[in-house]
Amino acid sequence: MDITVILTGIGLICGVMVYVVYVAVPHKVQGLEKTEEIAGILPGINCGACGLPGCFGYAQALTKDADVIFKTPCGAVLQDAEALERLEKALGITLDASAMSKKVLVHCKGNSETIYNYSGVETCKAAALLLRGYRKCPYACLGIGDCVRACPQDAISKQDGATVVDLEKCTGCGLCQAECPQNLIELVPAGTKIAFLCNYALLRDIPGREKCDAGCIHCRKCFKSCEDEAIVWNKERAIPEFDIEKCTLCGKCIEACEQNTLAGFRPRSLVSPAI
Amino acid sequence: MNELIVIFVSMAFVNNVVFARYLGLCPYFGVSKKTGPALGMGMAVIFVMLIAAAATWLINHYILIPFNVQFMQIVIFILVISSLVQITELFVKRTSATLYNALGIFLALITTNCAVLFVTLWNALHDYTFIESIVSALASGIGFAFALILMSGIRERLEIADCPRSMRGLPIAFIAAMMLSLALIGLGGMI
Repeated sequence: MDITVILTGIGLICGVMVYVVYVAVPHKVQGLEKTEEIAGILPGINCGACGLPGCFGYAQALTKDADVIFKTPCGAVLQDAEALERLEKALGITLDASAMSKKVLVHCKGNSETIYNYSGVETCKAAALLLRGYRKCPYACLGIGDCVRACPQDAISKQDGATVVDLEKCTGCGLCQAECPQNLIELVPAGTKIAFLCNYALLRDIPGREKCDAGCIHCRKCFKSCEDEAIVWNKERAIPEFDIEKCTLCGKCIEACEQNTLAGFRPRSLVSPAI
Repeated sequence: MNELIVIFVSMAFVNNVVFARYLGLCPYFGVSKKTGPALGMGMAVIFVMLIAAAATWLINHYILIPFNVQFMQIVIFILVISSLVQITELFVKRTSATLYNALGIFLALITTNCAVLFVTLWNALHDYTFIESIVSALASGIGFAFALILMSGIRERLEIADCPRSMRGLPIAFIAAMMLSLALIGLGGMI
């Protein structure tokens, strides 16, 4: 007999056996039905951001105690209106998705000047160990892409040295946040409209290091340009803070910013100043 | 009988899959942080090795050898093992909640574990009889569970040990594993 016949035959038999067991074996266990229903609603990407072993583990935890979803919310479910509705029905609770749903905001537009040639291990974590990285700004995005590798949804990419987050793909799981050695990544509410792209201004100064030429220069132009009083000037840190409720997304602050440190927080346009 | 005892001691301790053959190292470090999951994983490996050894012995002797296609062993064994594990997982999931909670998530993890494949290929290579295959699979499984449980005990102690910051976690676990396997290799000349 031909080897292909044997291989195909065994493969077919195995497949049929799995199918027969799948169809024929009755559900005797009562407790698992609800778990399976919940597991069917969950995205099934097993990203592990909730800290439980995969989506099935999360479903098991939810079956035991529905409050788990408030403690460690599943970002992917919160952003899918249909799945959320089914999950609410299955668990018998109501969730406020817009309050819980998060998106990733990278506080750096990239391309800070290089101050030395780095030729070590190709990870941001290793590069950050040497004088906080090879960029002029000690908080700059190093651009090697630890966050890109960490993302289970392929939502993060590097474009011309800048970190671009595809907000439609981003589930707000926060796995990338833990990877960034420069602490550039923040989880912001999904309704955020304006992104502030300079981390140097957000954090304290480091003696002997300067910010790069691209960062916020604390000129207050954005604050002055806003007609809706949506920008509050934080005097202590000299940075603008945005009020999501009042902002009408007119884009005047983005136009006014000569450093291009502000950007519209929209799908795939995190770093482009256009709105 | 003597032969079976020799196979058992050899597979479980002297030629332990983890310490002497360096197989299945991923679960060995992945699931050995606490004794509870390590025990569950060990039991699941014993179970899967047993059914895999039985099924592959039958396929090897009644299909592969008569048609003289032993060179396809790896492909066919992997296929058979993974579908058997899938079937068992489905079966356990639907019939016994207790068993599923004990083995459940580990069963899927060891579908393509190299230690399981190693046992089946080793049995085929040495022309073991059916009983010998079963004993060798049982012994390998016990050896693996033994290694996991030993390691989890050590790692539970390491968690609270005061070791240098750069060595905490996996690095010190690797060093402990090295010493453990050195100790086990001391049995090397026994059989």
